Amino acid sequence: MTTESQFETVDMMLNMGPQHPATHGVFRMVLKVDGEKVIDVIPHIGYLHRGTERLAEVETYGQVITLFDRVDYIANLNNELAFVRAGEQIMEVEAPERAQYIRVILAELNRVASHLLFIGTYAIDLGAMTPVMYGFRERERIQNLFEHVTGARMMHNYMRIGGVKADVPDDFVPWVRQLIGEVRKGVEECDKLLSTNEVFLGRTRGVGVIDGPTAISCGLTGPSLRGSGVAYDVRKDDPYEIYPYLNYKVPVGENGDCWDRYYLRMLECYESLSMIEQCLDQFPEGPIMAAGRRIARPPAGEVFSHSENPRGDLGVYLVSDGTDKPYRVKIRPPSFCNLVGLATMTRGSYIADAVAILGSLDIVLGEVDR
Amino acid sequence: MTEQDPKAAAEAPKEAAAPAEKPARHGPPIVIAEEVLNERGEQTAAQLASTLGTLVLDSAGREDNPWVRVDAKELHAAAKKCRDGEIGMDMLNLMLAVDWVDRIQMIYVLYSTTNNRKVILKADLPAESPAIDSLTDLWEAATWYERETHDLFGVDFPGNSDMSPLLLYEGFEGHPGLKSYPLNDYEEW
Amino acid sequence: MAVEGNNDSQSSPRFVPQKWDREKGGHFFHTDEGGDVSLGKGNHPAPNRIPSAVPGVITGKLDDLIAMGRSNSLWTLTFGLACCAIEMISTHMAHHDFDRFGIVTWPSPRQADVMIIAGTVVKKMADPIRLLYEQMPDPKWVIAMGTCATSGGPYYKSYSVVMGVDHIIPVDIYVPGCPPRPEALMDAFMKLQSKIKSDAKNGQIDDLSGEQRIAPVAVADAAPVIDAVPAEVPAEETAG
Repeated sequence: MTTESQFETVDMMLNMGPQHPATHGVFRMVLKVDGEKVIDVIPHIGYLHRGTERLAEVETYGQVITLFDRVDYIANLNNELAFVRAGEQIMEVEAPERAQYIRVILAELNRVASHLLFIGTYAIDLGAMTPVMYGFRERERIQNLFEHVTGARMMHNYMRIGGVKADVPDDFVPWVRQLIGEVRKGVEECDKLLSTNEVFLGRTRGVGVIDGPTAISCGLTGPSLRGSGVAYDVRKDDPYEIYPYLNYKVPVGENGDCWDRYYLRMLECYESLSMIEQCLDQFPEGPIMAAGRRIARPPAGEVFSHSENPRGDLGVYLVSDGTDKPYRVKIRPPSFCNLVGLATMTRGSYIADAVAILGSLDIVLGEVDR
Repeated sequence: MTEQDPKAAAEAPKEAAAPAEKPARHGPPIVIAEEVLNERGEQTAAQLASTLGTLVLDSAGREDNPWVRVDAKELHAAAKKCRDGEIGMDMLNLMLAVDWVDRIQMIYVLYSTTNNRKVILKADLPAESPAIDSLTDLWEAATWYERETHDLFGVDFPGNSDMSPLLLYEGFEGHPGLKSYPLNDYEEW
Repeated sequence: MAVEGNNDSQSSPRFVPQKWDREKGGHFFHTDEGGDVSLGKGNHPAPNRIPSAVPGVITGKLDDLIAMGRSNSLWTLTFGLACCAIEMISTHMAHHDFDRFGIVTWPSPRQADVMIIAGTVVKKMADPIRLLYEQMPDPKWVIAMGTCATSGGPYYKSYSVVMGVDHIIPVDIYVPGCPPRPEALMDAFMKLQSKIKSDAKNGQIDDLSGEQRIAPVAVADAAPVIDAVPAEVPAEETAG
């Protein structure tokens, strides 16, 4: 008689990616499964490693902005802002007030656009096709505005060290006001459709739980960390630009599961839209570019500056050797750090939930691999 | 390096790695930035100095980010003190290596979610076979940062069990983060 | 009645189509001379007489018909690499609505016709892309979307980027832009549709299934095998 203990059983390795529609790009993970349960996750990245940091060392400060556009290609303007702020710190210049307002309005709009894309693609991951259509409809409106202001739909190259490239067009304020109304309606529509849906709740509630201390140890930031109940937001904790003058709340979750991470982003959309409205109310006149040299040639030294990306804390460590090209640019990619927590979240869940957990982190592979 | 001469292209990294005399630099003189801490930064710096005590070799800072330089062998101890001490640096925010040609500098940005303060630890490593203790036992976030730094700069981290390539692939030769690694000319792939 | 003069097919009288005269009865193919005219010899294919005989009927080669079907239901592989993938998704979504061209995405390469290389191709991803291309059934087409897929784009100097996806797999259409607008991608698909139709007309369809279309890849493992093939063949012959 053979008993079950006499059989030699091995864990099955299941490959996902790098070409998989649910991995949000070219991410590959190897799941070690026992039946339907995931025992371990081995993520493999680097399928989009373009050497941005090395390339930035041979390009001038103005050219590096274009590379930063392409690092996180869903929230381009937030990334430009991160580099431009680091550049301003090392150059010791400050952008005029109007330029700061323009930057914040555009960055917050881009945050909404990024979250809308997340909501749509996350619904697709869980099997719902409709929300992505709604999300992209609103995203298209925002991109139209970006095209009107910056000249490009995605790769803007609009912000400069010390200001912005050009002033906004005359119809900017009424356009944005109308846009906010439309987008808010669209976000509400997605919210109603998805947030309290029974199937959606069943797929996300209590799935991929990570507690606060573990999340901090893994280096999670942004909505992924705030979902676990840690109120860390760079806009509040290390205020930059004109964020101190705005009245807004940072939503914080409780359970650290997929639904919390999803719903925080939904709430952030509302907050961002109200922030833009406040910016428009206070929108000042004035110059858009700081006076000074047009060629960036900062003194030798190093700075660390960070800002809040839709995915988390986006840091830039800039080392200058006094020439017109940076000596070293290091990006702190929030998606990269959030992915460290993936294995902890996924262990012990089902295979089908692995996709839900990965989706809830909202990774962008351009940022993970740089 | 031309297309017709692939041998020269293959040998280029070796030549570049050899210490070559820098040509005289043309252009405006280089200005060195003053490092001045603000009030908040001074507070953090004082706290950090009392936490680390004699480990500190050198310290300065800019704005509210004070930095201290410690010996490479003491870095793990210093990081542990920062995490467990009163200063409470519970997050490894960023870790990077800077190639200064004659040495490799490791920079660790630590962040405290409770006190909302940042500190920067630095440690110098020799350019030849650099190695520094792994911080994976303190922060899980260090695992991937260390693998990445190993890929791009060739820094070894004794204590990190998994040192397989993260961003690059098996069989990639050289460490492309180093200044001596050449950037592409045209190549067939 | 034979035509006077030489029988050279080049100078033989061309067929002059005429309206079908109901009273004359059922002679579909008649000429003025009513004789046997040598047709279809020489450099020109035989003219198609059916449309002239039966108005309102379109005829063509079966290839044309198949190409029409193929070009109007192109299934793309759901495969995004980088930034361009976002614009590719935009093209498929409600505002631009790619479905009206009969273009739908399909997550498996086994049923896909078109592969859109939407983004930067890095060396680590080169082998998976080639594998995906080989998994797709013939006939298959590739669109290089954006400057990265075309030539390496802004990452031309980078140590890890392939300088254009055409170093790995053959490309049919290149789309400029960083990233291309959705309209540019639509234009690329319309170009591809007309390419498919014209290829069928000009008899280029056979080339699509040939292995010659796949460019050799300088993968480190594969290179010695390719070199060893001609060296081994004479050795076997002498041994046999």
